[in-house]
Amino acid sequence: MESFFYIILGLVAIFCAYRAMLAQRLLSSILYLACVSATVSVILYLLGAQQVAVIELSVGAGLVTVLMVYALSVVGDDAQDLLSVIPKPLAFCIVALLAVLAGFMVYNPNPMSDSTLQTTSFSLATVLWQVRVLDVWIQIALIFSGVLGVLGLLSEKAAPTSKKGEVHS
Amino acid sequence: MAAILSILLIALPWLGAILVWLTGDSRPKILHILAVTFSLGAGLVSLVLLAFAGPGSVLSVQVGSLFGAFTLNPDGLGASLAAVACVVGSLAVIFSVDYMHGEAQLSRYYTFVLLFIGAMTGLVLSGNLLFTFFFWEITALCSYALISFYNDDPKAVAGGIKALIITQVGGVGLLAGTLAAYASLGSLQVADLLKGAATMPAGILAVVAFGFLLAAAAKSAQFPFHTWLPDAMEAPTPVSALIHAATMVNAGVYLLARFYPAFVNVPGWTLAVTLVGMISALIAGLMALTATDLKRALAYSTVSQLGYMVYAIGVGGVFASQFHLLSHAVFKALLFLSAGAVIHSVGTRDMRRMGGLGAKMPFIRNVFIVGALALAGLPIFNGFWSKELILEAGLKGPWWAFGFMLFGAGLTAFYTIRMTWLVFFGAEREQLHAHASGTAMKIATGALALGTLTTWLLAGPLSNLLANSLPFHKLEPLATWLMVEEVLSAPATWIALVVIAAGAGLWAAIQFRKTGTVLSAQPTATAGWFDVVATSSFGFEWLNQQVVSVVKKTSTELQKTQTGELNWNILGIVGALLAVLAILAWGV
Amino acid sequence: MNISALNIVLIIIIGLLGVGLYGLLITRNLIKIVLVLQILVKSAMLALVLAGKAAGNLDLGQSLAVTVIVADTVVAVVGLALAVQVRRRFGTLDVPQISTLRG
Repeated sequence: MESFFYIILGLVAIFCAYRAMLAQRLLSSILYLACVSATVSVILYLLGAQQVAVIELSVGAGLVTVLMVYALSVVGDDAQDLLSVIPKPLAFCIVALLAVLAGFMVYNPNPMSDSTLQTTSFSLATVLWQVRVLDVWIQIALIFSGVLGVLGLLSEKAAPTSKKGEVHS
Repeated sequence: MAAILSILLIALPWLGAILVWLTGDSRPKILHILAVTFSLGAGLVSLVLLAFAGPGSVLSVQVGSLFGAFTLNPDGLGASLAAVACVVGSLAVIFSVDYMHGEAQLSRYYTFVLLFIGAMTGLVLSGNLLFTFFFWEITALCSYALISFYNDDPKAVAGGIKALIITQVGGVGLLAGTLAAYASLGSLQVADLLKGAATMPAGILAVVAFGFLLAAAAKSAQFPFHTWLPDAMEAPTPVSALIHAATMVNAGVYLLARFYPAFVNVPGWTLAVTLVGMISALIAGLMALTATDLKRALAYSTVSQLGYMVYAIGVGGVFASQFHLLSHAVFKALLFLSAGAVIHSVGTRDMRRMGGLGAKMPFIRNVFIVGALALAGLPIFNGFWSKELILEAGLKGPWWAFGFMLFGAGLTAFYTIRMTWLVFFGAEREQLHAHASGTAMKIATGALALGTLTTWLLAGPLSNLLANSLPFHKLEPLATWLMVEEVLSAPATWIALVVIAAGAGLWAAIQFRKTGTVLSAQPTATAGWFDVVATSSFGFEWLNQQVVSVVKKTSTELQKTQTGELNWNILGIVGALLAVLAILAWGV
Repeated sequence: MNISALNIVLIIIIGLLGVGLYGLLITRNLIKIVLVLQILVKSAMLALVLAGKAAGNLDLGQSLAVTVIVADTVVAVVGLALAVQVRRRFGTLDVPQISTLRG
């Protein structure tokens, strides 16, 4: 029964990802990405990782979507040239080969069982703040540097063609 | 103590290189002072290290499980070569103070010279095969950079690229040998290779042996790789003295001497080494007969003398080859530096335009004669003792090789006297402006001349040092007085002296026949076909041109894959991922 | 066939990976590249949680997944800021037209 849910959700996720990639307008792509986020979040919840599911939902379907829409509004939604640099059949073949190889490598005839050893491990809070505390500090540093970087990038005025613009970074 | 000295020996020149680079071109005086200080410091440290040299490694730093340990082995072989490199290096740097006075981009010059000195000492002191390879490549880089130092001269750039490509071919041999040894023995340490050579399968040992021979032949400009050294003479003369006479080209001989006990039993190896040395000595000597460029003649002579050293290793005289290496470094550096003084003052390298310069540059003439007599192998000078030791060792090898080497000694005398005569004696062929040389030049060449007269006395200590610190080579110590006795009483010595006298006499006779007097100034002409053959390096020049042009064409074609487009690059990444997955899936 | 739930998730991961890589190869628009990178990272996150579940240590997998989310969000933010700057300077977001680094 559980497998059925996974199959449905998986199909939805891959379909949305595919549409996101091929959509004509960027706005549609962003909406499809939000769908992918939501689907992946549900899959995560079904796997048992509730906290990460919530984080993924709010960040992926919320924050990233808003950010991209904002960037899109600044940049403008131009019509795109659909002719790709690399011929589509070639790309498809390579990726298909890759997927088949990867699948071949990880396919395990013995089905993976859900381990019931969960109870002996720490709670998420302990893991985050004690076992992997270095990860958390690195993440905080990352966030700060990202914010600084964005502030620096966005504070540059318009291109040199504009008389009022001055570039400082 | 030895550990600190060894590290200092690599670190001092490199620190000097960094400081010189940071100082920049705007303050040449500081550059000169810095370079001289650091190279002199390295020279002193290397002499002190000689007292502490001993078998085994003094420093072992673990650098990860793949590379093993970075070890430094300042044993007799390494310490003596490091001393040669640093002392001759410091003298060459002192000489450069005058020679490169007023040149542009001095910081680039001194940086690379100091970098080179540090890398050379690292090469001879290293006890880990892979680090030897790293230092080997750094010396090749410095050699390329210094040959093409005058980078608006297309000849210099072409010479640099040629030297780089040919020595890199040798580098491939060294790397292949290293990896084969690692695959078979599981360790990259030199000591392990020497110990475990007998246990390696014969095929792999042969790969290692001939790979190292390839590397040594390419680096020391031996047959069939002898064409890069004459073209490398576009470098400034102190660089020629340092790199292409006294240190870098000795790296090949060092490699062969270091691994001799491991490879001596590989079938055909000693014969190959003997042949390579003999052929190089002969054809280089023949090419020096017709050379008209002073530095080119000296370059051919270097190849020839290195051929003697390689031949000595081939017939089993490891001590003889190292002793000749010491003598050769001193007298060849002396010859190059004095030639540099001459070239610097008259402005040309063509010997046909020089003549009678002895009267105007007496000091340089005298030191040059000292070097030339050592090169020809006349008694008292250090070249005599070491060359005779080699010939004596040659009696144990094939008799036909001995005969050719004897003939080579006569050739050496012939072209040496020709060279000296053309430059310093006879009547002036052109009105060339020649001024006396500066103080720094005199100091450097004078010190080397003194060395030429006295380094043969170090035979005893050197032999002791080598015997005590090289457990695998099974050398016997030989006191200086015993060596003198041995040389003077061996029949090979007297035969060789007769041959040398014959060579000198032949030159005088040809002069007399052509011009009616021995003291004429005309250069001797040889048969036309011989000139053509000699100047094209017996056909190898064409071969090397082909190799260089193939490499250049391939690189131009490969540049087309760098399109700069994002999707193309991602395709490359995905393709590589596919290859990796395929290899993993089907197992290797 | 006896495919367990976890194997299905593996197939989903490979599927998302494939779609993401195909998108990277095809796309010509800078913002779309950032978007496709997001898809790729979601598959990585799923893989981490899956590995954690299969090994029994789900919380470790979750913490790693949180790290990945944070990192990739920062990447998306900076990437978008870069895209805005590129638009201002070059006037276009077309990747082949802004490639000036040639071999």
